[in-house]
Amino acid sequence: MELKHMDNEVYSFALKSTLDEIRNVCPDIENSFMFKENGEIIARDESTPEKVIVQVVDAFDSITEKADAIGGVECMTIECNKGSVNVICIDDLYLVTVTSTKADLNHVNIATRVLIPTVLKLLEKIHPAPLKKERALPTSEARPEIPAAEEAEEPAEVSGEEPKKEEVEEPLESEPSLPEPSANQLIVEDLQGFLVPSDIVRIDSETLSEWEKLYDDRRIEEVEVETFDGKSTQCKVIPIKDWKYEGKGIIRMPEKIQITLEIKKGELVRVKPIIK
Amino acid sequence: MGKKKKSAQNAATVAEPVAVEATSSNDLRACLEEIKGYKGVIGYILRSSASATIDLKDPTKLIDYAVLSSSALDAADEFSELFKLGKIKNIVVEGKDVKKLSLTIHEKRISVFMEKNTDCEKILKRLRALGQN
Repeated sequence: MELKHMDNEVYSFALKSTLDEIRNVCPDIENSFMFKENGEIIARDESTPEKVIVQVVDAFDSITEKADAIGGVECMTIECNKGSVNVICIDDLYLVTVTSTKADLNHVNIATRVLIPTVLKLLEKIHPAPLKKERALPTSEARPEIPAAEEAEEPAEVSGEEPKKEEVEEPLESEPSLPEPSANQLIVEDLQGFLVPSDIVRIDSETLSEWEKLYDDRRIEEVEVETFDGKSTQCKVIPIKDWKYEGKGIIRMPEKIQITLEIKKGELVRVKPIIK
Repeated sequence: MGKKKKSAQNAATVAEPVAVEATSSNDLRACLEEIKGYKGVIGYILRSSASATIDLKDPTKLIDYAVLSSSALDAADEFSELFKLGKIKNIVVEGKDVKKLSLTIHEKRISVFMEKNTDCEKILKRLRALGQN
């Protein structure tokens, strides 16, 4: 589990470095970031806040949901007065670049369409890809374990515990459980209704059972929800019942908790289990 | 001749435009009819606040294309707002099979659908020229 996390960090770090290098080559790129089909942010530059990316993912999702008629979305370009947005699909990753009007779009396209796939291929060769492994799972199993770029600074203790590279290939069950609570980053979705308790949030049953496995099958009844502004609260948790919200990295949250945390639908929060 | 007849049959005017609609509407429609004859173009959607004209070679895709078109324009508005990019000039969405070009001219939302390898620059130039009139 921890090794998988490290792999994700390696990927994230490599892709972030690539994005930075592309920006060095094409200084007219103002924002660039990558996310997976399920909304998980893979890499981002410092100039793009996570909140903005979440809103972009949300808006982009509304297009991809309706794009079956044209065979999905492989590429999208929005040309505006003050710049352009370009989204390209590489495998099941989406790369977004925002450029100023001065940018040479051909130059930017060549850089992004060549460098990113090359780095992805290289990473897959050097290190069996955790992203690929997750891609192979059914959608409901793809969890938004966002490897934030800033967390990539601390891989040392990880490599100490898990020295064998081959273990990357092992199924998850064989990996040792960890005592420290792991936080997942989830997107807030409204939870409304007459019979909805105001102190209970709902998250994927997959995430809950993963946590339970991690903590010796202890039942997870409460979670701590933390916003990126540092506000946090503890609340009860139950699995999401509605299938359409499953496997999407969502936390369904009653209005009262949203008010407490000063957040709203579409925003990103960190959620970790409370072990009793 | 035969082609014109066919496109006239396929054209589905969802709601009649208001009587006082400016000639720009007719120019737009005529321009889109011309564009529809370009190689690789498979249809268009023209929407104003009062009416919508949809002309697609495959009418079974009508709703899907209309919904996609509207979603793309709405999402583009959001993108532009998020990154402070100003007024949207055009949007191109490429799928595995089909490409879609959307833009707004004289407050009318236009989406042109074409085969993926079609060059949309020519279409864009033609429509932009009309927008400058």
